[in-house]
Amino acid sequence: MTFDYTPSELMAVAGARELQDRQVVAVGLGLPVVASFLAKLTHAPNMTVLFELGVINPQPIHTGVGLADPRVWYQAEVLSSFVDILGSILHAGRVDVGFLGGLETDKYGNLNTTLVGDPRGKFRHMVGSGGANDIASCAQRTVIIIRHEAHKLQEAIGFITSPGYLTGSNSRQEAGLRGGPSRVITNKAIFKFDDKSREMELQSIHPGNTVEDVLQTMGFTPKLPKDVPFTDPPSHEQVRLIREVIDPERIYMG
Amino acid sequence: MSKLATLSEAVSSIPAGAHISLSGFAITRCAMAFAREAIRQGLKGLTLSQCVGAMDADLLVGAGCVKRLIYGGGSLDRFGRLANVNRGIEDGTLKADEYSSLSVAFRYLAGSLGLPFIPIRSLRGSDLMKNLEEKSPGDVADVDDPFSGKTWKVLRPLNPDVAVVQVQSADEEGNAWIMGPRWDNVEQVKSAKRTVLITENIISNKTIRQNPERTVIPGLFVSHVVELPFGAHPTSVYREYDYDSSAIETYVEASKTPDSFKAYLEQTVFGVKDHAAYLELIGGKSRLRKLKADPDLGY
Repeated sequence: MTFDYTPSELMAVAGARELQDRQVVAVGLGLPVVASFLAKLTHAPNMTVLFELGVINPQPIHTGVGLADPRVWYQAEVLSSFVDILGSILHAGRVDVGFLGGLETDKYGNLNTTLVGDPRGKFRHMVGSGGANDIASCAQRTVIIIRHEAHKLQEAIGFITSPGYLTGSNSRQEAGLRGGPSRVITNKAIFKFDDKSREMELQSIHPGNTVEDVLQTMGFTPKLPKDVPFTDPPSHEQVRLIREVIDPERIYMG
Repeated sequence: MSKLATLSEAVSSIPAGAHISLSGFAITRCAMAFAREAIRQGLKGLTLSQCVGAMDADLLVGAGCVKRLIYGGGSLDRFGRLANVNRGIEDGTLKADEYSSLSVAFRYLAGSLGLPFIPIRSLRGSDLMKNLEEKSPGDVADVDDPFSGKTWKVLRPLNPDVAVVQVQSADEEGNAWIMGPRWDNVEQVKSAKRTVLITENIISNKTIRQNPERTVIPGLFVSHVVELPFGAHPTSVYREYDYDSSAIETYVEASKTPDSFKAYLEQTVFGVKDHAAYLELIGGKSRLRKLKADPDLGY
């Protein structure tokens, strides 16, 4: 039996699969919110969800325009501060998984949210770090969610806002950073990182895509295993929860 | 001792070139009325700081009041970019010291505790740190941990001349409540030499004493208390009023070019003599009533 789901829904489900019960998860807004609420509603009811500005375990009933929107703080268990969330919890090493997005990433999972070149050869200054650099530096591991486009998956990026494995091998560890990216989830595929070289490696492609297409729409060639499996599709229940409970107005899922 | 003051008095207590920390986070609890009055009074050469860049800082930058911005990046959430801040960085007219949220919070925390520096794990290996080491070498350094021998990046404390904080409730002495998340505001207050409170409500000292565990800003840090309903408009104040979407969209549109922003300032800042006139301009009581928060939801 087949049914329809969108690439964004599969991305959210793939994100949820990265989370386990009782873990502590730092999220920004958008797809990671859907992924973490989906995990909480299914296999990880005792997970703790953190927003950087001082919010623990909210239960929103309306979607918000960003972390600054009181809609996303609704029914939180704690409303506190940066020092509380990013300091006592994240910096101290108590965050198991952090979600990160970005304008572009490279084969080591370094992320740029600061500067992008425009066609006239000038740089445009963008949103910068917020808590992203802190999450990338201090979480036990991170999961990167990014759209699958050649200009977003680049051989080299213009600015490292949030460190991945820097120049590969031991360079991240030598810089004194904890953890590192474990997955990259795009709308076409999922990648992991090689244990030694720390280069991105194709793990699975989403149903309906080919390896050729996945590689042609990237700015670098990832490591390739002999066989590339398809990503497991979402279940009916997962898609129902996303559409009916988590994001009925389709604000996060587009 | 009552520290009640008018907005005009509070702003005129701040000299040109001062370092001001601002309480906004993107589009919530921004010190907007303060920023508008500072622009009217011609306050120039400011250094601004906040963990996440917000609309209050963007307004002051767009009006040419700011020389330097110490921040952790920021936006107007889904409404758009901090266009004036970004333009200032792109054309080199604004010196921006760019950190992460936590690293600015740690600089305030060190300042609040009177520590000489604070070690941090964030920023290592990033181009944020590389830029800081090149452009602001006096604010970051390497220190060997005397206990483990490991080398840590350390940050210089921040001690703003004035913290300007938009709160829900305060008494005349400056004992204040912040409802909702406080992001960096308490550390801002405690690291600053003094604090200007912009409060939606004045409550009695008796009410403060009946709920002392709610006091997150002790009056001893505060120099001025300004009672100013809707002082954060068009940004939100949790449990008081929602953000004003159409007014933020107007701002985003206006901030796309320096010329259109100048026209925006002429109308919304220079075109009104004070905050009361501003509130009339944007639609007065009937507009503001629509923004009032539902007491159960908080927005």
